[in-house]
Amino acid sequence: MKRSAILLIGLIALTLSVKAQINTDTIKLTPIEIRDSILKKIPYVLTNIQKDQIDGEAIRDVGDYLRSIPNVSGVRKGGVAVDPVVRGFKFSQLNVILDNGVKVENGCPNRMDPVSSHVEAEDIENIEVIKGPFMLKYGPALGGVINLVSEKPHPYEKFEIHAEALYGFETNWDGQKEHLLVYGGNKKIYFLLTGAIRDYGNYQSGNSDGHDTTFNASFRKYGYGAKLGYSPKKNHSILISYNEIHGRNVLYPALPMDEKSDDTRMIALDYNATDLSAVIKSLDLKIYYSDVDHLMDNSQRANWASKQMVSDVDALNIGGRAELGMQVKKHKIFLGLDYENIYKDGARTMTMLMMGTTTTKVTNLWKDARIQNIGLFAEYKTLLSSFEIDAALRLDYNHANSADTLKLIKSDIEYFNDVSTQFINFSISMGVTKEITDGLYVSLALGRGTRSPNMLERFIKLMPVGYDNFDYLGDPQLKPEKNNEVDLTFKYSNDKIGNFYLNGFYSYVQDYISGVMLPSSVVTPQTSGSLGVKQFVNMKSVGFTGAEFGYTSPEKYRLGGSMVAAYTYGYTPTVTKYIVTGSNVTGDTILKNDALSEIPPLETTVSIYYKFLKGKLVPKISARIVADQRHVSEAFYEPYTPGFALLNFSVKYNIIKYVSVSGGINNIFDRSYYEHLNRKIIGTSGKLYEPGRVFYITVNVKI
Amino acid sequence: MNMPNFKRILIYSILGLSLTSCHKDDPIPEPETDSGKIKFTFTHLVDGLPLEQDTMKYTNAAGNNYCINELKYFISDVTLHKSDGTTKLIDDWKDICYVDSDIPATLTWEVYDPIPVGTYDSVSFTFGICEAKNISMMFVNPPEVNMMWPGVLGGGYHYMMINGVWKNTTNVDEIFNFHLGIGQLYKSDSINNTDSIYAFVQNYFNVKLPNSSFVIEKDKTRQIEIIMNIESWFETPHVYDHNYWGGAIMQNQPAMQMVKENGSDVFTTGIIQ
Repeated sequence: MKRSAILLIGLIALTLSVKAQINTDTIKLTPIEIRDSILKKIPYVLTNIQKDQIDGEAIRDVGDYLRSIPNVSGVRKGGVAVDPVVRGFKFSQLNVILDNGVKVENGCPNRMDPVSSHVEAEDIENIEVIKGPFMLKYGPALGGVINLVSEKPHPYEKFEIHAEALYGFETNWDGQKEHLLVYGGNKKIYFLLTGAIRDYGNYQSGNSDGHDTTFNASFRKYGYGAKLGYSPKKNHSILISYNEIHGRNVLYPALPMDEKSDDTRMIALDYNATDLSAVIKSLDLKIYYSDVDHLMDNSQRANWASKQMVSDVDALNIGGRAELGMQVKKHKIFLGLDYENIYKDGARTMTMLMMGTTTTKVTNLWKDARIQNIGLFAEYKTLLSSFEIDAALRLDYNHANSADTLKLIKSDIEYFNDVSTQFINFSISMGVTKEITDGLYVSLALGRGTRSPNMLERFIKLMPVGYDNFDYLGDPQLKPEKNNEVDLTFKYSNDKIGNFYLNGFYSYVQDYISGVMLPSSVVTPQTSGSLGVKQFVNMKSVGFTGAEFGYTSPEKYRLGGSMVAAYTYGYTPTVTKYIVTGSNVTGDTILKNDALSEIPPLETTVSIYYKFLKGKLVPKISARIVADQRHVSEAFYEPYTPGFALLNFSVKYNIIKYVSVSGGINNIFDRSYYEHLNRKIIGTSGKLYEPGRVFYITVNVKI
Repeated sequence: MNMPNFKRILIYSILGLSLTSCHKDDPIPEPETDSGKIKFTFTHLVDGLPLEQDTMKYTNAAGNNYCINELKYFISDVTLHKSDGTTKLIDDWKDICYVDSDIPATLTWEVYDPIPVGTYDSVSFTFGICEAKNISMMFVNPPEVNMMWPGVLGGGYHYMMINGVWKNTTNVDEIFNFHLGIGQLYKSDSINNTDSIYAFVQNYFNVKLPNSSFVIEKDKTRQIEIIMNIESWFETPHVYDHNYWGGAIMQNQPAMQMVKENGSDVFTTGIIQ
């Protein structure tokens, strides 16, 4: 609190000392602005979230917020770092990037640090979520793309300096967040400085079932960064960015270890030029470097006295991209190439203290593992008669290698041996949009996205990285996954009644990467509580299908609202179920059309708001209703999840031009519930519950 | 481009996607052989009667009155032998079986492996775990993890723990840990000086169950009872005296050698059904 007070006082002092200008005359050169103008009639589902939609929300991280988008869910393992899932696609099936192309390799095998956790929510300028394998320009995309675009400095006609400060508090967690942003510059040189701290305690679940539970999910995160832009001449800009994000003592009750420390450093250099000639409309160049040092242990667990586990992982991602935008009459073409080089190395040290002696074993999780991917991409957009056409192509060369010495061969079956692979992957998408009547559009999109296996799926050694209580073993010889998808979307826009969209999709995924149990005669688990070992394998095929609906009322009315609903159904035509009796696997059987595991249930959210004081004061109430998930994987012994309904209330008040306050109550009825994708508390069969009732307030000062 | 052309492109695109989805390298399934299943049960007897734990009611061949509090052990590499010399090693899923008299679930082992139909002459197994498989920290979960054998004494896991109490020569209760695992050879006279260990001795041994012939029929489960006659650990060929060897023998290779040799006739075959 004291630190927050100092921060606010400092900001007010800054307000008095600086002659602030409202940036009505800003010149924005970011690539996103250029793309937006041609994305309005895209044939697939794209959700674009702006900064003002995020500000003031009670969110701990970006992944937490993403769950409010239809058909986007998240895997919760602790208080923070919710890992996004789009239409049942997750982890590397999604291409999650920062700032239109920066990639970060997560250090933690258990994904304590998904890409979305490496950016502060308050630094976000906008978020794009593209569902399906349609946007191929940012890298291989199987199930979708999430582009987290952070705020950037921009030039001003005359020198200006601005600042923003945010303080937020949440009950239940006793969580505080503070964020400071200073930016400004002139026509040539412009800058942005940012810093944030987030300190949260443990939280309690709701007590609607008669008792609440405290979950050890406290965390501390802080980060800072600087961006410096330079415009040597009109329509040309260079931007250098440096960011650090640090995590300390981040507890994950659903994982066998906690994050002792996580230190992430990112540096990027961007060059952007527009209107270079009558044909060449844009040129974007980017190079980046990201480094994650991740240390985790079980020192805050009861079993530390008898078994100590410490894992230390270093993950690097170095890459870049170049994109050329051209336009000839109605034909828009984007051509480019990108490259990424992922390096990962780390080990787990396990010490057993039994019978008065200690035994130590060091297992490498990754051993100088490297994945290199180089891709060529092209996008084409045009208007043919009354049809708008979007097409994209992508060709990737992917090479992986590792210094692993593990050999796992039994009865001539090689479970883990040759570690080198190379693939050439081809992805393609094509879509068409037609306006049927005034305001009613129909779109059809077809796509085939291919992605190579990731570091985890290829090389991980015996870590419980799945949703079930099994240690997982990588398979260096996995084949790439391919998603063949069709999307049909109807959009209707009417000034008087609002905007609607209805989308249906079907995905046929080949060589789907999943897990299969390995015999204990081949390998035994290395994590306390693990029931056995599963290895990543390619399943022949699986299917996803689903639909989503969205409605937003016109902005012009005082009373407004929105409604979204989404459902995904995942199935596998054939799968082997291992029959477990007691602790023994006693047989197996083939199941037909079993459910895919970790698919979110049907849900809908309805929100209603009213604008008072010419829109300065906006209270909103929203209800989220989530159905039972009974379509669960029998082969994976996945338990069903009961449905729930939540009621939330929020209010935003722009007091004066420079100060706004927002607050609210989440989970008003203190409902005790958990999402289907929440992980189990380690060592138990019980799920990690979501927080109970939370009162929150956020104060935002801008000058 | 007119409308029919556009439709054609669309249809070709769908067809193209469909064709690239075809997969031609699916493995050809191997022909299945007729098989049945096998289930082992474990029974623990003392002097022909079921073990009663925590009761000072037994007397061994050396005349020691004793009671047993805990009995746990590993058997591994169970092998089924046919008269033509062929064998079936049980290791498709699990090759090391943990048995604990306090955990009923461990007293039955429903084997995963399909067993080819036919007549089998006998069953054999390794008592304990062979050197190649007895790797430290391969078990991380209870109850197996509690069988850990200290690394300094050879590592891996105990083959067996029989924990109990015997009345010593002054008729006082004394604890015995009748443990079998990897033995050590010491340069010095003192076993406390683990630095003087110059070699380790593998004390696992092979057991061939007498009268263990059986038939496996297609799609049927054969149940075989494996009996441990506990008193036999203390007699034939050697009479084992707790008063002589003391309560702890993990660092006493001569004692463990005697246990190993006594173990050869500890197991018999019970009911086969």
